Amino acid sequence: MTARLGVDIGGTFTDLVVIDETSGAARVGKVLTTPKDPAHAVEQGIGSLLKESAIPASAVRAVVHGTTLATNALIERKGARTALLTTEGFRDALEIRHEGRYDMYDLFIDPPAPLVPRRLRREVRERLLADGEVRQPLDEDAARRVIGELAAEGVEAVAICLLHAYVNPAHERRLATLVREIAPQMVVACASEVVPEIREYERASTTTANVYVAPLMSRYLEDLERRLAEQEIPGQLYIMQSSGGIALPPLARRLPIRLVESGPAAGALAAAQAARERGEPKLLSFDMGGTTAKACVIDDGMPLVGREFEVARADRFKKGSGLPIRVPVIEMIEIGAGGGSIARVDRMGLLKVGPDSAGADPGPACYNLGGRQPTVTDADLLLGYLDAEFFLGGRMRLDHAAAHRAIEEHVAQPLGLDVTQAAWGIHRVVNENMAAAARIHGIERGKDLRSYPLFAFGGAGPVHCWQIAHILKVPRILLPFGAGAMSAYGLLAAPLAFDFVRTGRQRLDGADWTVIMRLFTEMEADGRALLARAGVAASDVAVARIAEMRYLGQGHEVEAAVPLGNLSAESLPMITASFEAAYRALYHRLPQGVPIEALNWRVKVAGPDPKTRLIGRPEPRRAVVAGSVRPALTGGGLREARRGSVRAIKGARRAYFAEAGGFVETSVYDRYALAAGMTLTGPAIVEERESTAVIGPAGRARVDAGLALIVEMTP
Amino acid sequence: MTVRRRSPGKTGRVAPRRAPLRPPSVKAGLTAPAPTNPITLEICWNRLVGVVNEQAAALQRTSFTSIVREAGDLSAGVFDRRGFMVAQAVTGTPGHINSMALAMKHFLAACPLETLRPGDVLITNDPWLTSGHLNDVTICSPIFRGEECIAFFASTCHTADIGGHVLSAEAREVYEEGLQIPIMKLYEAGRPNEALIAIIRANTRLPEMVLGDFHAQIAGGAVGGERLLEFMAEFGLERLEPLADEIIGRTERTMRAAIRALRPGVYTNEATSDGFDEPITIRARCEIRGDELLVDYAGSSPASRRGVNVVMNYTEAYTTYGVKVIVSPDVPNNEGAFRPLRITAPTGSILNVQRPAAVAARHIVGHFLPHVIAGALGQALPDRVMAEGSANIWGIQVSGKDFAGEPFSYIFFSSGGTGARAIKDGLSATAFPSGVLGTPVEVIENLSPLIVERKCLRDDSGGPGKYRGGLGQTIAFRVRTREPFAASILCDRTVHPAAGFRGGGPGARGAVLIDGVAPANPKAEQLVPPGALVEVRLPGGGGYGLPAERDPALIARDLLEGYVRGA
Repeated sequence: MTARLGVDIGGTFTDLVVIDETSGAARVGKVLTTPKDPAHAVEQGIGSLLKESAIPASAVRAVVHGTTLATNALIERKGARTALLTTEGFRDALEIRHEGRYDMYDLFIDPPAPLVPRRLRREVRERLLADGEVRQPLDEDAARRVIGELAAEGVEAVAICLLHAYVNPAHERRLATLVREIAPQMVVACASEVVPEIREYERASTTTANVYVAPLMSRYLEDLERRLAEQEIPGQLYIMQSSGGIALPPLARRLPIRLVESGPAAGALAAAQAARERGEPKLLSFDMGGTTAKACVIDDGMPLVGREFEVARADRFKKGSGLPIRVPVIEMIEIGAGGGSIARVDRMGLLKVGPDSAGADPGPACYNLGGRQPTVTDADLLLGYLDAEFFLGGRMRLDHAAAHRAIEEHVAQPLGLDVTQAAWGIHRVVNENMAAAARIHGIERGKDLRSYPLFAFGGAGPVHCWQIAHILKVPRILLPFGAGAMSAYGLLAAPLAFDFVRTGRQRLDGADWTVIMRLFTEMEADGRALLARAGVAASDVAVARIAEMRYLGQGHEVEAAVPLGNLSAESLPMITASFEAAYRALYHRLPQGVPIEALNWRVKVAGPDPKTRLIGRPEPRRAVVAGSVRPALTGGGLREARRGSVRAIKGARRAYFAEAGGFVETSVYDRYALAAGMTLTGPAIVEERESTAVIGPAGRARVDAGLALIVEMTP
Repeated sequence: MTVRRRSPGKTGRVAPRRAPLRPPSVKAGLTAPAPTNPITLEICWNRLVGVVNEQAAALQRTSFTSIVREAGDLSAGVFDRRGFMVAQAVTGTPGHINSMALAMKHFLAACPLETLRPGDVLITNDPWLTSGHLNDVTICSPIFRGEECIAFFASTCHTADIGGHVLSAEAREVYEEGLQIPIMKLYEAGRPNEALIAIIRANTRLPEMVLGDFHAQIAGGAVGGERLLEFMAEFGLERLEPLADEIIGRTERTMRAAIRALRPGVYTNEATSDGFDEPITIRARCEIRGDELLVDYAGSSPASRRGVNVVMNYTEAYTTYGVKVIVSPDVPNNEGAFRPLRITAPTGSILNVQRPAAVAARHIVGHFLPHVIAGALGQALPDRVMAEGSANIWGIQVSGKDFAGEPFSYIFFSSGGTGARAIKDGLSATAFPSGVLGTPVEVIENLSPLIVERKCLRDDSGGPGKYRGGLGQTIAFRVRTREPFAASILCDRTVHPAAGFRGGGPGARGAVLIDGVAPANPKAEQLVPPGALVEVRLPGGGGYGLPAERDPALIARDLLEGYVRGA
């Protein structure tokens, strides 16, 4: 028997999932995160999960780990005492930033404070030119003095970021050597290694953030490896990166900044696997929880990966208010819309929902924990979508009257509407907000979301997806089994994969294909070597080549696939066609006669998809094995279309559907009794423990072999 | 003195503000009721904002000009058949806030609805009809449902080049500043206007980029139009006007309520810009009268002989912005937000300049307006304003021949400190009121023969106060040439510093130094010997409140970090 473990440390809970690779059975566990000693919760969680599932530690072949520890350290400013060594004349680049304001109309905004205060940003005499030529050699004596001073000030970590060093890293490397010599206790990183690309502010910001979290992450990972060894788990520890790729611990210790968004990344990976499994070429991953919703575009079974990310924003939902981090990251839009989002009437007399949230404490009015403001969850309760008695599987009773009071007082009365209209309004407005944000996210990346089926998960995602699917005009909705625990699943959903990128600006019409082939060959060889070390057979390795291209003079690239095999001038028509198709899909028309240039060449090298299918009941006490849920045989007289699913009906309640003219009697299904092949028609509500799916009157749904509920939208 | 809707000028086709154009074919409101339900309205409004944001996103992604893509120097909006702006995209340029809205009315006057055909695209860069200088090109796409025009999308973008002088204050007349494109059809029924395109090609230094950006603007309009039609079909909207009236009406009522909540009275203020060769006075009289706000610039200086003059449209844009950030930052930009404001400036003054004055560097004076407004309205609303800041963004432009003998011309922008706020320090090296961003040094050095020796905050440049003004910055550079090269610095506040408010001290003055020596006129084009060090010191912002009331912890921090040097 072999098994794999996924562990996701979140702010409140540490989620775990174990998959028995022989049977395909999955089991999840949840323990409270222990912020002071995060590995403690991991150790506890693993111990009890293995015990419950009767899987011996010796069977664990791999542990895949995602964590928000790095992000939290940046938000809470709890990282190392960090210094910056930079070129003489430029210590303020970190503070001057782009010279812009992230909100044009608010006079009282402040940019995020740099991670390194001005007194710890030290200059060294040296200078390179834009082409890497040395204009001023490094003044080593002065550098030694500065490093000595930093050591005396108790600095724990040093970022080195010199002008133009992404072209010529010699001075940065020499400085790093000096730091290691003079102050070996300090963590040190060169910008030319962390993020070798133009733009001194972004590079310095990313590199300082990297060393700022490095000591903490390093201690944590060593501790975790030790504890896994003590538990006699033989499996390799893999760390999930924000790109969705997986790293081995030495790389994660050196470049911990690449782990910043690994939690949400895992959710997108679960969506990506669902897309691959079902042959969906496109999918929109939609995750709605208590405070925020996140959307992510999945193309050809891969989430979109970009390099622009911000952490520790002063205003969570405003671009430009955070510290820029240039690392590969799954591109996601985060929207201030969740179950806890507060509804209010603004001074224009209009209904607004979010981005402020009642969170979990005091929470929505219906929690009865002191919250008085009406929230999305309150509206969903009054509309009949949620069951007051079966919230979180019945662990929490919702107070219908409190929800009614809050909506009546704060929304219905000020707007002159009845409470149902007000609740329906809250539901619609929050859906519109999410759809609008997702659509802009799509167009900014050149994607038309109308061809993207919606993959809805998170506690509130399945409640809201029916209407969002209508607004976005998507063809269908996929509701995965275990929608409340997708992120932990996602850790195990990804094949072992490594991404590589090389900069090599070339005009296609005069491209040097020998150089390009060399870049591709190097990257592919590196990737194959890493996979071989992780035990992947050469025949199982899949390689994809991508070029980031644009019309000469533009500032945004469009990605297009590049054929495998040997490339030469003969490949030009194929690559041009691939680019033009991608460009036209985005912007309708092609500029005529403008040359095309490529900026970056990328390779993704991946092992095979995990063999186990992520199915099974995500509940410790009642784990099920794939296929073990069988529909009871149905009696005669039942419509063919609902074969079997009738047995899964556990009741009915009145739920609101505008298209049906108001409240209608709606069947409530037990998700755990829905087996593959069953069908049902809307209006319907499908309940599982951590989530409820709402299907409108015109919806037709079937349960597929992977136990996902597929809802076809009738145009 | 003219009223806000000034005289028609040379075009002779200006629609009066209070009598909106209503061609006989418009049957607004007859076919579909306005969505008065607040929830439907909120959703429809959101959709419209989404539509213009998609328009702007498509434009930015396909643009060939970095100032459009990265600094967001563009605007995009949707207009109804009457030319009323209903929604505007969230972008980075106050200078376009309502100048594009005003431009639309000129388009309609020149090309009435019944003369438009599907596939038409209109264009102009007339400074007096749009946003004040020739570099800003406005393109307008009528949107048709079948044969009927139902709306317009327009966008204004800072184009890469428009011929003439390269963005400087040196010209004496607008004719020297580049190619003027009157309101014309760039496309007629889908066919490009080849004659116009040939003229543009022949008159600009970078025709591919210029025409490429026109394409981007057209693409934005096409994306917007497609989404608008889908949205209207989904909600069964035959016409945009009933929805527009509801949106504009609510906005106007909210704006009026915000003004009515202010203390009525007359508040005056003035500020002095260095000007090109003599100081320029900007005098504002703000009157809060009931639910209207009247701003008059009587007493301001007459037009300058150089290109720092401001057309009325641009005066209105920065006045509106200056009022908005104080009175109603959360009220959306549309026709309704502008109606309660009455903005006037004497005809022929620097703030309402007449043809054919030079206007290329109009931002130098225009960027002062929000500061002048803040000084006036701050008397009524001291908690909502910031002290004077460095005002205009500085443009640093060099041209000559590089080591290889190749000619080059390069410009980048930079900002000094903002004024201190009523409850906190000012922002250092941050653009206000402009949203134009700085350029990374590595990018500068990759695209030009400049070598930047220093780009750092200017210690001690923030005006003292209970809250300190933002620090300015110093940029020092050399240029790798064998022969002398030209440097032109579009600067200000080198003589007249940013004033503090309520007892706060002034920020440090700006300076231009060439090998340590200040030229006679820092704004004039300088001939610089090869290898000389050009040092520009951008001004700091003014302080707010008495320095004696400053929190000792903030004083200690300033000394520790070196923002302020000990005596």
